[in-house]
Amino acid sequence: MKKIIIVALFLAGIAPAFAQDKPKLYTLASPFERYTHYLATARFMGAVPLGSFKDNYIDKSSFQNFSLSIEWVLRNSPLSIGGEIGSTYFEKRIPRAVYEGEEGAISAVQTRTLSQYPVELFGNYHFLPRTSTVQPYVQLSGGVSILDYTLYYGSLASQEQKVRPKYGIGLGSKFLFKKDGKFGADVRVKYDGTSFKHEYIEKGVSSVNGSIGLFYRWW
Amino acid sequence: MFQKASLLLLVATLGLLSCSKDPISDLSNEESLVYITNHDKSANFSQYKTFSIVDSVLIVENNRTGTSLDDIDKAIIERITTNMESLGYTYVRPDKKPDVGINVTWVTNTYLNVYSQPISSYYGGYWGGGFGYPSYYSYYETSESSWLISMLDFKNPKTSPTGKTFDVLWDAQIRGSGIGDLNLIDKMADSIFGQSGYLKIK
Repeated sequence: MKKIIIVALFLAGIAPAFAQDKPKLYTLASPFERYTHYLATARFMGAVPLGSFKDNYIDKSSFQNFSLSIEWVLRNSPLSIGGEIGSTYFEKRIPRAVYEGEEGAISAVQTRTLSQYPVELFGNYHFLPRTSTVQPYVQLSGGVSILDYTLYYGSLASQEQKVRPKYGIGLGSKFLFKKDGKFGADVRVKYDGTSFKHEYIEKGVSSVNGSIGLFYRWW
Repeated sequence: MFQKASLLLLVATLGLLSCSKDPISDLSNEESLVYITNHDKSANFSQYKTFSIVDSVLIVENNRTGTSLDDIDKAIIERITTNMESLGYTYVRPDKKPDVGINVTWVTNTYLNVYSQPISSYYGGYWGGGFGYPSYYSYYETSESSWLISMLDFKNPKTSPTGKTFDVLWDAQIRGSGIGDLNLIDKMADSIFGQSGYLKIK
């Protein structure tokens, strides 16, 4: 009888360990809760031009935009800070038209393009504790954008390249695939503004972009 | 771990920056053409009645000149004549004192471009001292051709110590990758006159 009890106690100790992957010897919070950890996100973005950039240069939405970010999720704080780099590209074809200018009349098919390679620092404020599988946040970002304005008349190009300051305001949410897991999805809507002035662009480049991303976190 | 991540991020940046786009690869020959026209804004075109045109195309290539009368040259001269006539001008032979004369030129400019390879400064920077490499330069050539059509004022010649000169009343440049396409010649000639309504005297 004693033996049976011992065996039963033994099994009682072991069985839960098989049921869950790891034996829970102590009830510790997840390391993601206890430590400052890293989080990397890759995003695919759709962008819609806004304002005078839309009215005067390109009004066509773009789906050739990507970004990568890495952030430190701070311990005991709703904040995370990090950096993000990306690539955005707008393009629009204008059918043949005559452009009257000081150099005469130019008749051409215009291909308007604008590429940007933003390099930014950002801060996120999270509304819910990080134990939550859904983590909505607001984001403020600032940095520079490496701009390439290339306007094609037919096959002739007129190009302007500049590095200009930019900023962004975003609203998004992280969704963990598993509680305390390493992977998750990220959804974000962000306004981007870049100060730039050249030919058709008179008041900077502004756009709103929506992105879906995947993130991985580690500590 | 974080260092690895930053390295990855750096590689990804380079990857993103290096993908170059060619947004005009889908342009047809016709769409590639650019017509640039200019005119003397003080000119009163109604004073001109007759015109003449060169009998062959002047070829200007990096300061060397010659003439040419291929199919494409004939085609453009003919079509310009047709356009001038429909604008109201009368064709006369060059010796019949035309009011305006039309020149047709095929211009090719070749540019020599130089770039320096950053090899010397790169290694110099890495090792701190540098090896005293000479600077390496590479060259590449680009050339661009264009049609240049100009209308000269024979009616009011300017006299200068070197002889008579004629003002350019109107000129047109046709540029783009499709300019050598024989099938597009008519369209080219029609376009440059089409966007210059002030030439009409009829």
